[in-house]
Amino acid sequence: MPPVDPTPASPPTYWRSLEERADSPEFREMVEREFPGEVWESLPPATRRGFLKVMGASLALAGLAGCRWPKEEIVSFSRPAGYTPGVPLRYATSIDRSGVGRGLLVVSYDGRPIKVEGNPKHPGSLGAADAIDQASILDLYDPDRSRYPISREAGTRRAQSWEDFERFVSGRLATARTRRGAGLAILTEATSSPSVADLRRRLAESAPEARWFEYEPLTQDNERIGASIAFGKPMRPLYHLKEAAIIVCLDADPLGADPSAIPHARDFAEGRRSADQGSMSRLHVIESGFSITGSMADNRHAILSREIPAVAAQIALGILGAEASSLALAAGPEPRRFVAAIVEELLAHRGRSLILAGPGQPPEVHALVHRLNEALGNFGHTVELALAPDPERPTHRDAILSLAAAIDAGAIETLVILGGNPAYDAPADLDFAGLLPKVPVSIHLSLHENETSKLTTWHLPRAHDLEAWGDTRASDGTIGVAQPLIEPLYGGRSPIEILSILVDSRPLDGHAIVRRTHGIDGDDSEAAWRRILHEGVMSGTAFPLEMAAMRPAEILARFASLGPPAGDPGGLELVFRRDAKVHDGRFANNGWLQEMPDPLTKITWDNAAILAPSTARELGLQADDRVRLSYNGREVDAAVYVLPGHAAGSVTLNLGYGRTAAGRVGNDAGFDFYRLRGSEALHFASGLSIRKIGGKHAFACTQNHHTIDAIGLRGMERRLGELFREADLAEYKAHPEFAKHRIHDPGSHQLYPPHDYSEGPQWGMAIDLNSCTGCGACVVACVAENNVPVVGRDQIRRGREMHWLRIDRYFRGGEEAPQIAHQPVACVQCENAPCEQVCPVSATVHTREGLNAMAYNRCVGTRYCSNNCPYKVRRFNWFNFHKETSETEKMGMNPEVTVRGRGVMEKCTYCVQRIEAVKIVSKNEGRRIRDGEITPACAQTCPTQAIVFGDLSDPESRVSKLHGHARAYGLLEEINTRPRTQYLAKVRNPIPGAGSPIPADGLEEHHG
Amino acid sequence: MSTKPIERPFDAEDPGYRAPLILGGNTFATVTEKVCGIVEKPKPPRAWYIAFAVSLSLTMVLFAMIAYLFFRGVGVWGLQVPVGWAFDITNFVFWVGIGHAGTLISAILFLFRQKWRTSINRFAEAMTIFAVICAGIFPAIHVGRVWFAWFLFPLPNQNLIWPNFRSPLLWDVFAVSTYMLVSTMFWFMGMIPDLATLRDRATGRIRQVIYGILALGWRGSNRQWHRYEVAYLLLAALATPLVLSVHSVVSFDFAVSQVPGWHTTIFPPYFVAGAIFSGFAMVMTLMIPSRQFFGLKEIITMRHLENMAKIILATGSMVGLAYATEFFIAWYSGNPYEMFTFLNRAMGPYAWAYWIMVSCNVLVPQLFWLKRARTSIPILMIISILVNVGMWFERYVIIVTSLSRDYLPSAWGYFKPTAVDLLTFAGSFGLFFTLFLLFVRFLPMVAMAEVKTVMRQEGPEPWQQKGPGDYRGDIPQLHDAKVIERETK
Repeated sequence: MPPVDPTPASPPTYWRSLEERADSPEFREMVEREFPGEVWESLPPATRRGFLKVMGASLALAGLAGCRWPKEEIVSFSRPAGYTPGVPLRYATSIDRSGVGRGLLVVSYDGRPIKVEGNPKHPGSLGAADAIDQASILDLYDPDRSRYPISREAGTRRAQSWEDFERFVSGRLATARTRRGAGLAILTEATSSPSVADLRRRLAESAPEARWFEYEPLTQDNERIGASIAFGKPMRPLYHLKEAAIIVCLDADPLGADPSAIPHARDFAEGRRSADQGSMSRLHVIESGFSITGSMADNRHAILSREIPAVAAQIALGILGAEASSLALAAGPEPRRFVAAIVEELLAHRGRSLILAGPGQPPEVHALVHRLNEALGNFGHTVELALAPDPERPTHRDAILSLAAAIDAGAIETLVILGGNPAYDAPADLDFAGLLPKVPVSIHLSLHENETSKLTTWHLPRAHDLEAWGDTRASDGTIGVAQPLIEPLYGGRSPIEILSILVDSRPLDGHAIVRRTHGIDGDDSEAAWRRILHEGVMSGTAFPLEMAAMRPAEILARFASLGPPAGDPGGLELVFRRDAKVHDGRFANNGWLQEMPDPLTKITWDNAAILAPSTARELGLQADDRVRLSYNGREVDAAVYVLPGHAAGSVTLNLGYGRTAAGRVGNDAGFDFYRLRGSEALHFASGLSIRKIGGKHAFACTQNHHTIDAIGLRGMERRLGELFREADLAEYKAHPEFAKHRIHDPGSHQLYPPHDYSEGPQWGMAIDLNSCTGCGACVVACVAENNVPVVGRDQIRRGREMHWLRIDRYFRGGEEAPQIAHQPVACVQCENAPCEQVCPVSATVHTREGLNAMAYNRCVGTRYCSNNCPYKVRRFNWFNFHKETSETEKMGMNPEVTVRGRGVMEKCTYCVQRIEAVKIVSKNEGRRIRDGEITPACAQTCPTQAIVFGDLSDPESRVSKLHGHARAYGLLEEINTRPRTQYLAKVRNPIPGAGSPIPADGLEEHHG
Repeated sequence: MSTKPIERPFDAEDPGYRAPLILGGNTFATVTEKVCGIVEKPKPPRAWYIAFAVSLSLTMVLFAMIAYLFFRGVGVWGLQVPVGWAFDITNFVFWVGIGHAGTLISAILFLFRQKWRTSINRFAEAMTIFAVICAGIFPAIHVGRVWFAWFLFPLPNQNLIWPNFRSPLLWDVFAVSTYMLVSTMFWFMGMIPDLATLRDRATGRIRQVIYGILALGWRGSNRQWHRYEVAYLLLAALATPLVLSVHSVVSFDFAVSQVPGWHTTIFPPYFVAGAIFSGFAMVMTLMIPSRQFFGLKEIITMRHLENMAKIILATGSMVGLAYATEFFIAWYSGNPYEMFTFLNRAMGPYAWAYWIMVSCNVLVPQLFWLKRARTSIPILMIISILVNVGMWFERYVIIVTSLSRDYLPSAWGYFKPTAVDLLTFAGSFGLFFTLFLLFVRFLPMVAMAEVKTVMRQEGPEPWQQKGPGDYRGDIPQLHDAKVIERETK
């Protein structure tokens, strides 16, 4: 964006009515609130009364909304240099999630950000963005966001203006300052922002008695403490999965839940692709639940999380030998059989192996893992260390405990909560929601008026990260700058602006704060600043790497004294996990994320008590049963999801659901497992009991999850070998073209003459199943790029999800130790397309470039094409799914893509709008389209670059080469659809001689 | 030469002993009186009113459901991906299938000189037309954007956009509309002499005018009769291939696709046999109460019913053979997807529908091997209804089970109908019966003129027995008296 004028909205130049000109307080309030009355807050979906209310509100809006956009600050009428209306511009920015900066490029159309992509220059992104990053666009335009400061007094909720708040707070601050800040406390969510750190320092100077707390429900603190045990200070490990030939994950999910999942996945994929050169990494995963990393494992063992420390000890015994003899007790009497093989592998790959421990594992395990990596000579090769920022910070757990204690003691008079939602996600034993009203003045800044806001005396609307100036630090410390892409839609402010009110005598705006923090506020700094904004990152700001001295004795001593996990060891184990969609719950009101199927369970709009088939049988439970979970005197009702490959005796509970004040999307989705989570065990504990309470919960899954009938299961298993082709590394080496021989091709005869493909580029795609982790980033990318509607839970239950791209997930092998197959499937653009032949009105036709095009205007919606599509990738608009899209959300739509109305079929187009845009440019420049110049949204954002798109008529293009690759095959090519998307078969790398858990392919079934 | 009467079995179809088609000593006058009387009576029987009230209410339900569908979108049905067609196309094929009996009876049996058809052909033709009307509704309303349904017709336009002539759905449009047109023409033309009779007998002015217009100036001259006979023959010849073609084309909707379970060359003959099967069953379902309520037992005799039962037995067995053949071919082809589809049909989640279909269509009609079953009104009624149930499920099984589990297991689904699905289907019966009840009330339900051609015009008294040497036209048989006796008991 041509840097947005950072000054807050100037007084309106134009006036809308005489009242406004008179600037009466009533009118001010109405304008601030934009939607007068309580309509939006209390709107239930589709009731008669609700409908009438909305009709009424719409009439009221008709008068107001017209004046709202565009504002002169956003789209200048005097066109800035280099700016053409209608031509999208990309701006680098970064946002912070749970204390880790994420580098983004945001596509903006005429001042409206519409799409989030990764910033290739950012080390945490490398050009890719995960599902949540991309969905932040929808958060920005969320109509449920709060629109004005709200004060609550004795149960009455009143709309206020920012001026009201500033007046109120200045009085309050004056008193606080006189007492050197005593009684003032600030609670932030985890943040990496240097500006926040700077403001905190300034606050400490001006109000030394003020207290600062940082709380985050999902935290990497165990890793920090583990490093402190090992090195005496909290070092942050940085992993290089590319270099590792042997990777051992102990409850770790480096490819999924980890904040650095994108660079990890990129590295990991390289280690897998090298199968083509004859060697590839081997991934061992030992975990309780099924993680994305676990789904990629060559050798996975599902055991209880609480038994993983023992496995770590056993590995340590194997590697360190006598030195680790003190761990014998922790290792248990009988080592697990698989440990010996892992130890052997690790010892054989010194310097080229890597052990990782998960954030849920106790600090002692992390410390031991550091010791093991050191003993294996991995430091400097597969793992490096950097000093973590803010080394003095107490753990998030301790912070929230001491805050709770301080509130209870009455020591806090003014509590400023910047982001976060402690009333919802603080440990259950603190009863934070009960404590909060004890604070005389509590101020909560957040995007939504959420659970916490409702208990505070002041709620302030927060500017979305895409609306505000800011800064972040990536995992490796690289500073990223955040610039606003749009004027705050709802007049929100950023945390640093609120802090500035507390700290600075004359509050600064975000722009000034960030420049001050980084010392780029001099007169001659403009060019440097512009360059930083352009790049999005400040190069050379990564944390310095250092190899701290290790304290082996300390590590072993601490580990040996590691106690048993909390809770009654007799019951089931419960494990709390981050959710791949809503993270810790803060994204619960995001329809794109709610509707993204979970990578493993394929559940949308819900979480579940996930357990193993054997555990379900033992407990007499079946899939979808409603149950009551009891642990440590706390109870939550939930529903059961039975997941093959889950550890027996363990129950995985994804956090972040069951919100009550998330907004219209997030409320009543799923179950709130925070209510089971106490400060005694934030990650896993024992002693869970499950009782059936009768009834079934109707999960909205995009893929069959029931224990499928015997016929279906057999049919599925038989064909899986053809649909998802894979081989062991040994087989691949012996038969490089194995994928081509997985089916018997009966020959191809075609009724109608084939299309003429002799002219122009011929588009094609290749998807490498060897790299795809099933993370789902491509799904959300496609939704954002192609204006795919959110249809809601009920429609998904009916099988009506609209995603053009889905990731098929199959289990192979037994239910105890299945292997997972992730297969992204979108329209494969058949050259001999079954859909085209049957459409009675020629609404789906072939282009000369090989695209199977949909003419929406011509479609009458017979659905015959979908019936005849063997891939079932066509999606039908059963209703007018965009009917309820709010005015704000409409701003986030891609203007290059038609919004489909009711009764029309749609499907993947290979992002034809991107193709056309590049074609126009190349034609104007009189040149051929360069390879890689066109990237569909899915390919653009894939963290592992598993999707490659290009011109098949160019033999030198990447996609042509991949189509010619030994592992390439066409899905269902035997029915002569001649797909333009080819898959590259997966290669697994099991321990030689261990035997594959999968029986040989059902090849003999259909040969000959 | 002996003139002693010879005892013969009931179903002897011996040229020497041709059974009379009309019983009970009816003359031309009594036939006219009986058939016209139904229409001319000032008030129909009470049963008619009850039936009409019920079916009209159901018709209202149908239109209400359609209005709701148009207002909200196709999503009000239980459809999804992968099952993009379910009740809509099932109902369409079901009704089109039923619409086959009429033309078969009128045209093919006419060409084959099956004179027994005359008593029932009007009836069956009317039923055909109403069934085709019901059928036509579903493809029209099943599209996502009804307001553009006219895109399906090859209308000349300045953009030179034509429908896709490769699509079987387009062939359907032509096949069904042609069939509708020809069968309506055939029905109406055959009715002209009878409409003239009604006109001539009409007492009120309104009836005179209306029947007069409908009779198209029929005077019953020899020349008119001659033209009439020729035209009737020509139309019969024209309609005959349609009987075979319509359902063949409907079956192409499936056979031309690549969905396992649809992509089968057996479909055209299999569908035609099934259509005749269901059509005859529906004729029987309607005829049994009608002849009961309107006193037409002597015109529509037990022999008619028995003949139809035989056709039902024959076509039902053909359908059974087709089911078996599908399984055999699926196995024989070696195509794993095909094999799976059929196993899944019989043993998968839709096994219940499959076994309803097999029992109703294949097993139950086997009872018709027994003469007692063929001549028992309750059994005929029950079986004919069961056959209709079975044939609806046949289409449901073909369409829904095949779609619900095709190639990629990730995209498998399970279709569950909504209330709108069920009510729309029920409403289509309402429309069908409403039209039918109006027909029996206002139009001659038996082709009087044709029936008279198969009646004895001269000769001995009907009860007089003759030996083989005394054959002269129609010879009544003892057993007929017995049957009448049994039936009137």
